[in-house]
Amino acid sequence: MQNYKKIPITKDEVVPIAEKMRAEGVTLAMIHGFLNDQGLPNISYEYQVEEGIDSYTVDGEKVLPSISGIYDLAAEWPERELMELIDVTFEGVDTSKRLFMPESMLSGQGQIFVTPMDELIRKTQSKEEN
Amino acid sequence: MSYVVPIGPYHPALEEPVHARLYTSGEEITDAEVFIGYNHRGIEKLAMQRNFIQTIVLVERVCGICSHSHALTYALALESIAKTKVPKRGQYIRVIVAELERLHSHYLWLGIALHIIGHDSLFMHTWDDREAIMDILEEITGNRVNYGMVIPGGSRRDIDDDKRRHILEMLDKIEESMKRLRDILLTDKTVALRTQGVGVLTTEDAIRIGAIGPHARASNLKIDVRKDSPYCCYDDFDFDVAVWNSCDVFARVVIRVLENFESIKIIRQALENLPAGPINLGVRIPKIPAGEYMFRHEAPRGQLCYKVVTDGSEFNKRVSIHVPTFRNAPTVPTMLRGNSVADAGLIIASIDPCFSCMDR
Repeated sequence: MQNYKKIPITKDEVVPIAEKMRAEGVTLAMIHGFLNDQGLPNISYEYQVEEGIDSYTVDGEKVLPSISGIYDLAAEWPERELMELIDVTFEGVDTSKRLFMPESMLSGQGQIFVTPMDELIRKTQSKEEN
Repeated sequence: MSYVVPIGPYHPALEEPVHARLYTSGEEITDAEVFIGYNHRGIEKLAMQRNFIQTIVLVERVCGICSHSHALTYALALESIAKTKVPKRGQYIRVIVAELERLHSHYLWLGIALHIIGHDSLFMHTWDDREAIMDILEEITGNRVNYGMVIPGGSRRDIDDDKRRHILEMLDKIEESMKRLRDILLTDKTVALRTQGVGVLTTEDAIRIGAIGPHARASNLKIDVRKDSPYCCYDDFDFDVAVWNSCDVFARVVIRVLENFESIKIIRQALENLPAGPINLGVRIPKIPAGEYMFRHEAPRGQLCYKVVTDGSEFNKRVSIHVPTFRNAPTVPTMLRGNSVADAGLIIASIDPCFSCMDR
């Protein structure tokens, strides 16, 4: 069975850990992100260490340093996707062009896709009434 | 003369929606960009509103080709959180369906690639052979796609002795036919002229960008989740990880042909050594404690990741899906540079993309 280990870190540790992993030839399996119970980003850097995954997780930070300078496009695409879908910024990532969302919907507005349907209907109805 | 040539999101050369911008100098592509997200269906959000059994049905619909891979990876993530031990017979059946799925997916891609290069007779032969695999899948599961074979705790349906014997006979025929196809693909002039030296992705670029699956193995990168991080009893089976070093579209053709032989080897071993015993732990909504897990499965196109977060209820707190195309699509601009506009469709298709899968 594949092992999975969650390791909480601070935003200052993101780059040093990425540099260490890169130097050791460790693969960045993915960067995952979602909003925690307080509505703040929870970002996990999933490194493939031997047969398992070490998940270095930063919780509650809206601004993080980019590791695309270390892991190139393997990090840049997940970072750009997360920036467009949730309210998090990876410093140093080019946001002049969209990756995932329409060009008119940059800056973390992807939350429209995670708004409950009944709330969207309510918003639309109140707009129509006005 | 320089032009910007847009391809897609909807274009006859593309099977699914994606947008590529080609920057050209005459016929030559000097740079390219890829944009995704045209088939977003909000599946991750929907998964947060469904219980674990309903989510199996939902995630099977992320992709029409590798539907079993999605259900399997999601179930493996749940079972890892709950530390569930799946009966071995159930695991073997999961492997059999996963490898049959790999076979039909590789055949599908080979057919599409041959169609794109204009070799339609071989395209039809390839898809004719694929039908035999689809027949086996239908015999085992009752369906050609969305097999409904996975439940948390095992497999939903068993394979009896009659079916087992029949599938083994069918595999012999498929293998014979595949040898003939291999010989044609490796020696045919049309295939060589259209694919050799086209869309090169060097080993260094594959590592730098993070390519995975058959796409990486065609760039001489020996990575395979089934070998590197075994699961579902894959370490019980004797099989090789095929690699090829020409790093071009031809290598991607060869890799898939070689992998087909390995898949048949695995299916044969699984059927001949199918353990006795139950196939699952019972069909009901499982009790999953609060936790999180990221599980990886070697889907036909490469490593499929499911990150599942649970809170102790019968619903998902979060399901995050990242498919192989999300890792392989960033390699497209590198492969396009220096090639002609006429080859762009083939090069984009050579990653065996599933953009709908990626947009989820």
